[in-house]
Amino acid sequence: MLFVLAAVCAVLLSVNLYKIFMILPDEANQGAIYRIVYVHVPAIFTGFTGFFIALGASAAYLITGKLKYDAFAAAVTEVALAFATIVLATGMIWGRIIWGIWWAWDARLTTMLACWLIYAGYLMLRRAIDEPTQRARLSAVVSIFGCVDILIVWKSIEWWRTQHPAPVLSVRDGGGMGPGMEAPIYWNWLAFMCLAAILVIVRTRQERMAREIDSLRRMAHAY
Amino acid sequence: MIDARNFTYMFYGFAAAFVILVVYVVSLALREHKLRSEIDRVRRMVEQSEKKI
Amino acid sequence: MNTFLRASATVAAKDLRSELRTKEAFNASFSFSLVILVLFSFAFDPSSEELHSISGGLLWLVFSFAGALVLNRSFARELQNDCLDALISAPVPVSAVFFGKTIANYLLLMIVEIAALAVFAVLYDTHFATQLWPVVLVMLLGTWGMTVIGTMFSALTVNLRMREMMLPTLVYPLLIPALMAAMTLTSDLMSGTPLGPSNMIWLRVLAGFDFIYTILAVVFIDIVLVG
Repeated sequence: MLFVLAAVCAVLLSVNLYKIFMILPDEANQGAIYRIVYVHVPAIFTGFTGFFIALGASAAYLITGKLKYDAFAAAVTEVALAFATIVLATGMIWGRIIWGIWWAWDARLTTMLACWLIYAGYLMLRRAIDEPTQRARLSAVVSIFGCVDILIVWKSIEWWRTQHPAPVLSVRDGGGMGPGMEAPIYWNWLAFMCLAAILVIVRTRQERMAREIDSLRRMAHAY
Repeated sequence: MIDARNFTYMFYGFAAAFVILVVYVVSLALREHKLRSEIDRVRRMVEQSEKKI
Repeated sequence: MNTFLRASATVAAKDLRSELRTKEAFNASFSFSLVILVLFSFAFDPSSEELHSISGGLLWLVFSFAGALVLNRSFARELQNDCLDALISAPVPVSAVFFGKTIANYLLLMIVEIAALAVFAVLYDTHFATQLWPVVLVMLLGTWGMTVIGTMFSALTVNLRMREMMLPTLVYPLLIPALMAAMTLTSDLMSGTPLGPSNMIWLRVLAGFDFIYTILAVVFIDIVLVG
C-alpha cells in the first residue's frame, strides 16, 4: 500500500515539476518566483484537509471511545502541522521578494499563524498528559475548537483587504490565473495528499507502537 | 541583486519546503528507530519476567 | 431550562460572593493592569498622535493579561477539598456550573476592565466620550469571548500538572481572531472613527466568534469535566 502511494506520488510530482519548471511561462509581474504557488497553495490545501480529517477523527473518538481514532487524529494533526509550516515558510520567502517584507500583520497571515499555534498547542498538550484516555479526550476537544479558526483563515481574504492576495483561483470567483496555470495546483495537491497519506500511515503505526510499549511495560511491572 | 526573473529566490522557496519535509521525515525515522528499540527492550523484559514465574 | 438558569445563577453568585469577600483576584488583576499601563508609557510617548492608533492594542493587551489572572483561578480554586468533584456530581447539568462560572468571571473581568479603562483615559489623555457606548459594546463582546474560552480551558487544564503553562499556550492562539477584532475596533473608536461599513466586518467577526464558541463550550464542557 505504502509503495503504491509512494509510486503515485513520485510520478505526479515529477510530471508536475517538469511542467512547472519547463513548460509554463513566467508570470507578467512577478517573474519566475510565482511558481512557488505550486507548493504554497497545495500545501495549505493539504494542511487544512488534514486538520479537518483530524476533527473527524477526534469526533469519532469522542463518540466511540476507541483509542485508534485518537492515534489517527494525533498523526494527521502532526503531518498537517508540517504542511502548515511549509505554507508559512514559502509564503514568507515569496512575500520577501514580492512585497519586500518577510511578514505582515494582516488578517490572513495573523490568523494562519494563530492556526499554527493552536495545533502546536495541541501537540504540546498531548505531551503534557500521560494518561491515554484523558489525553485523547482533552486533545479531541482542542482539535474541535481549533477548527473554527480555519474557517476564519479561509474567509479572511474575502472579508478584508489584506496584504495577502485576494482570491485568484477560479473556484473562488477569483480573477483566475493564466491559461493552464491553475491545473498544476490541483495536481500538486493530489501529490501532496499522497505524500501526507504515507506520513500519516507511518505516524499512526508509531502511535500504536507507543501504546503497545505502554501496555507491555505495565505487564512487565505487574509481575 | 535580484535577477529579473527572481530565479534564486524561487529555488530558496522550493528548497525551504523540501528542507521542512526532509526534517519531518528524518524526525519520523528517528522516532521509529527509538520506538522499535524500546519495544524490543520491553518485550524482552516481559519474557524475562514470565520466565521467572 | 429553569434548572439550568437557576443552577448557573447559584454558581455565579457563589463565585462572586467568595471573590467579593477576599477580593484577591480583583486586586491582583487591577494592580497588574495598572503596572502594564504605566510600563507602556515608557515604551511609547503617551502624548503622541500615534497613540490613538495603538490604544486599542494596548487596552486589549492589558485586558487579556489581567483576564488570564482571573480565568486561571476559575476552576483551579475548586481543586482544594474536592470542591470540583462536589460541583460535578451535583444534580445539575455540568454546563450550568460552567455557565455560572463564566458569568461570574465575566462580571469580574468587566469591573476590572472598566476600572482600567478609566485609568487609561486619565493617564493617556484620550477623548472618546463621543464613542463611549461603542467602546463599551466592543468591551462587552470581546470580554465575553475571552471569558468563554478562558473558563473552558481553565476547566480543561484543571487536572494537568502543567496547568499554568498550558492555559496561556492554548487560550491565546484561540483568542487571536477575537483580540484582533477588539483591538482594531477599539483603536478606530479611540481615534474618533465611528462604527461603520469600514469596520463592521470586525464587529461581525467578534459576534460570530462569541456565538460559535459559547455553543461549543456549553456542548463540550461535559466531556471535558466528566469524561
